[in-house]
Amino acid sequence: MSMLRQLNARKIRDFLFDHVVEVILIVLILVMGSVSSTFNTTANWLNIFRNMSMKGLIAFGMTMVIITGQIDLSIGSTVAISGVIVARACRDLPGMMGISVTLACVIGIAVSLLLAILMGALHGFAQHKFGMPAFIITLASQNLLYGLAGMLSGGFPIANTFPQWFTVLGTGRIGGYSGFPVPALLLFLFFIIMFFILRYTTTGRSMYAVGGNQESARLSGIPVLKTKIFAFASVQVMCVIAGFINSAQVLSGSYSFGRGWEVDVISAVVIGGTSMAGGIGKMWGTMVGIIFLGVIINSMTILNVSTYAQYVVRAVFMTIAVLVATYQAKKKA
Amino acid sequence: MSILSAQDLTKDYPGTRALNKVSVTFDSGRVHALLGKNGSGKSTLVKCFAGAIQPTSGKMFMDGEELSFSSPADANQKGIAIVYQEMSLVPSLSVTENIFLGRLPKNRMGAVNWRKAHAMARDLLDQLNVKIDLGQIISRLSMWQCQVVEIIKAMSHSPRVLILDEPTSALAAHEVNMVFQVLRALKKQDVIIIYISHKLHEIPEIADTVTVLRDSELIGQKDMKDSSNADILHMMFGEMEHKARPQGMKPGDEVVMSVKNLSRKGKFEDVSFNLHKSEVLGIAGMLGSGRTELLKSIFGADPYDAGEVVVKGQTAKKRATPISMKKMGLGLTPEDRKKEGLILIHSIRDNLCYASIDRTRQGWLENRKKRIELADEQVDSLHIKVSNLKASANSLSGGNQQKVVVGNWLNTQPGIMLYDEPSRGIDVAAKQQIFDIMWQQARLGGSTLFVSSELEELLDTCHRILVMHDGRIIAEVDPETINIKDLYAMCMGGKA
Repeated sequence: MSMLRQLNARKIRDFLFDHVVEVILIVLILVMGSVSSTFNTTANWLNIFRNMSMKGLIAFGMTMVIITGQIDLSIGSTVAISGVIVARACRDLPGMMGISVTLACVIGIAVSLLLAILMGALHGFAQHKFGMPAFIITLASQNLLYGLAGMLSGGFPIANTFPQWFTVLGTGRIGGYSGFPVPALLLFLFFIIMFFILRYTTTGRSMYAVGGNQESARLSGIPVLKTKIFAFASVQVMCVIAGFINSAQVLSGSYSFGRGWEVDVISAVVIGGTSMAGGIGKMWGTMVGIIFLGVIINSMTILNVSTYAQYVVRAVFMTIAVLVATYQAKKKA
Repeated sequence: MSILSAQDLTKDYPGTRALNKVSVTFDSGRVHALLGKNGSGKSTLVKCFAGAIQPTSGKMFMDGEELSFSSPADANQKGIAIVYQEMSLVPSLSVTENIFLGRLPKNRMGAVNWRKAHAMARDLLDQLNVKIDLGQIISRLSMWQCQVVEIIKAMSHSPRVLILDEPTSALAAHEVNMVFQVLRALKKQDVIIIYISHKLHEIPEIADTVTVLRDSELIGQKDMKDSSNADILHMMFGEMEHKARPQGMKPGDEVVMSVKNLSRKGKFEDVSFNLHKSEVLGIAGMLGSGRTELLKSIFGADPYDAGEVVVKGQTAKKRATPISMKKMGLGLTPEDRKKEGLILIHSIRDNLCYASIDRTRQGWLENRKKRIELADEQVDSLHIKVSNLKASANSLSGGNQQKVVVGNWLNTQPGIMLYDEPSRGIDVAAKQQIFDIMWQQARLGGSTLFVSSELEELLDTCHRILVMHDGRIIAEVDPETINIKDLYAMCMGGKA
């Protein structure tokens, strides 16, 4: 009997150890709920998800890239250029080609998505064929896309060119004024899709293999290049969708959007337990990491913590979470 | 004059005795060759001297003083230095910096005194009559120069014992001489030099005595001038008897794979052979003979410059990949299972299903049930001892890891399996199981190409053996009639 109890105690301890970030998050939520009457309301939670939706989407793609053993630092610039492309298409194409704004907008969306896939393929190809570090390649892309976005927009935001239906992506709500925000909906929708790809497709399995040991994967006849390109393209496509949401929210496209987002995105992925060394990680973990970040930011806003102090607190929490994740990984190895 | 000796030195590992009451003496001013086939106990002996492992019983003495080490640092303190096979130099640093790594001389300001460091390094080089540019970084040096820098680095501690673990294994013939010159200069410095090598033909040239271990025991120690090549081989291998091979194991007449004039510059040249249905074909060759490179090129993992590979009448495309060769029915278990065969951080089940990823694919999706089935099948048929298939491959013993690598490929239902040193670092029982797998595959009509430097294995397992030396197939022998000593001599490129 006591052995059974011991066994159970051990199981519980192991479970808590494996889910320590979730535990911290729940404690945080409980504490905030008792401190603030507005925190645990539906409206506030929808707000948290809406606010984190863009970085969350990108974090899902980034999870794949990091599991594959790579990194993409160009994400912020892709967010910016996709907004600029759509805004510019909506502004200029109808006059130039005599088409409707709707069609112009669709063309802008298509071009953005195409660019995303192209960038992903380029990153994958350059990293794999020439063995260049993804860190550097994507840093170059960050500058390239930032510059191109600036040139395309002439250095100024392109405002108020979107058709009504496009703005729904950013500001729409399902079910009326206080309904479910469309960005949050997209977050959950793509979570399910990306979760599914990573866990249930052979491409997903290949990502783990390539990130876990590229040479073993290659010698097992796994298509390494294809897998890398898929991961790199995924994160870029997510950036483009995040860019649409972002531009739709502020009704303009600007080269300055998305700057510095990589910090929060990578933080969320790592807090979620994905190893920067590759080969280990879960989509669910990234979701937890995103909620974690969202809750911290939201809490501090509710508690009226100054913006600068917010950064300090975020840094502390992130360090703790990553420390825990690293310790877990070491313990398991 | 100093003397290093061991008295009844014994080392037990769980299940095996790696060293059995070995008593031996080495004196200074001479080069002592330490010989024995793989697993004979020679590295165990050397590791005891170097403090890397502790003997279970027995004693070690240096000039009458008993030695007891708990770490390699202790052994260093007592003046025992060892140069391992793997390079320990930092490729991006200069020769001088490598020699004095972590103990560069400093001036009064605490900065590195480069002038003094170079002078000290120059001094060491001059003592051994070596000319190497001290400012050059290691990665720009040739292999023999690196090896010499390793030796000089060890000598900079003024050791009384210098142990060299296969210092010439990675060197070309003309480079070996350069290293030997250094060793001859070293002899004058009253150092005990213990020299481990597999290159038998080098031994008479450099060694003064030969010490042979076999099956964990000391077989003998002789002066070099009193022993012939045949004597040494006899000491190493003793009287060999053949293990019985399974009955009725005749290969078919049908050629399933033929390799035609395959060449890769600097690796292997003009290699041609046929592999038959249900045949186990061995390739005997030592490290550096080009055998690993040959297998990798056949498998499409490395390119080749000329020639072709024909599988079941179909010529493989010139720029083959493991993916395309897998489709033609080939599988390869690589030499280094940890770095090339497994994904150590992943589960055993995942590792059993990576090569067969196409068999578990259903449209876009992966059939998880099929994956679990495939993994279970191999665990059963290969007797992989494991309680939890979700445990990481890292947690397995060497033998079980090797079986997982084999199982990963058997799940692809290959017609032709290429094994590169499948028995390295695994226990006897696991080895026998790997050979059983080869025969089982042969019975089912599969063919096997089996590379090994453990010649007994090849003799016990194969229908035919090709001998590879310096990138060429120099002979084809029949394991029923050849004697192991002759085979060994052939692999070494010498005469029996």
